[in-house]
Amino acid sequence: MNKHITEILDNTSLANLSENELTEIRAHVVDCASCGKAYDAARMSAAVLKSRTQAVIEPSPFFQTRVMAALREQQAAESVPAMLRLWRSAKAVVATMAVTTAALAVVSFVAPAESTPATDQSTSVYSAYSVIMDQPADEQMTYEQVLSTIYEDDDEAR
Amino acid sequence: MDLARQAQAGDESAFAEIVRRYSPRVFRVASRFFRQRSLVEEAAQEVFLKAYTQLGSFEGRGSIEGWLTRIATNTCLNMLRSAKRRPEFTVSDLSDDEQNWLEQQSGTDGSKQPSVENSVVATDLADRVLSVLSPEDQQALLMIDGEDASIKEVAEATGWSESKVKVRAFRARRKVREAMEKLLGR
Repeated sequence: MNKHITEILDNTSLANLSENELTEIRAHVVDCASCGKAYDAARMSAAVLKSRTQAVIEPSPFFQTRVMAALREQQAAESVPAMLRLWRSAKAVVATMAVTTAALAVVSFVAPAESTPATDQSTSVYSAYSVIMDQPADEQMTYEQVLSTIYEDDDEAR
Repeated sequence: MDLARQAQAGDESAFAEIVRRYSPRVFRVASRFFRQRSLVEEAAQEVFLKAYTQLGSFEGRGSIEGWLTRIATNTCLNMLRSAKRRPEFTVSDLSDDEQNWLEQQSGTDGSKQPSVENSVVATDLADRVLSVLSPEDQQALLMIDGEDASIKEVAEATGWSESKVKVRAFRARRKVREAMEKLLGR
């Protein structure tokens, strides 16, 4: 028999070789040293692989408890990112609201009160107070002129 | 199936029962990939956490055990892929015990299978020759040659086609045999 048997060895596990195949292999390795070595190696490999799969680690009695604890931990950790996601989506709305509030504050408190002259008579350039107090010394008003200016202003305000 | 349905409905005690019932199976799969208890436990825990989040995808066509086996196989393969590559196989690293074991076994009658009495040494040798394989090839070879699984069973556990399993097993068997020949011929 001239055909080398390495292909038979590699094609299937030794345990699954038929009796005919085993007879063929044994007959061949008597005269073929390289195939004999290959057959020896295949037998060793099969043995150590069997041994390797027998080395099974069993679960400890606490394994179930540990998994359930890890599961709860994972669920708790997942709830934090959910809050973060909510914040991220709300961030744009909150930012827009903040900008709007700031703009309104600027308009309301910082910008000159030109739009509401009648409501701030003490500082308005057109108020009775300013008309009377800002007049030059050489153009002093008479008492009647002062009174009529004040009443005129009050009437306008009403 | 009832357990899976209850767990899908949010019943935590049903899921706890799944963990209790199928953890030996998941540990068996993880033990194929890892020998350290801590790594096997880490992998098994990862498997059940994944299973919980993927409960909705379990349609009940197959068994829970088959479904978990597949998750376990893929989880362990991913863990191995992301781990550092193992050191290359070298003959000079053989311990005295390993050398003795090989010498004893190679002298036995070729018609008998070598003994696996000294399982720690044999397991160490297995890891040594398996280190020449990719995690996927290791998986295929250990299931078929180590556990006598059929090509179909490996295909179901891994999600690979049957022809892919055959090719992987053939290639892995040859590489392992060649690695063992090097050890024997040192």
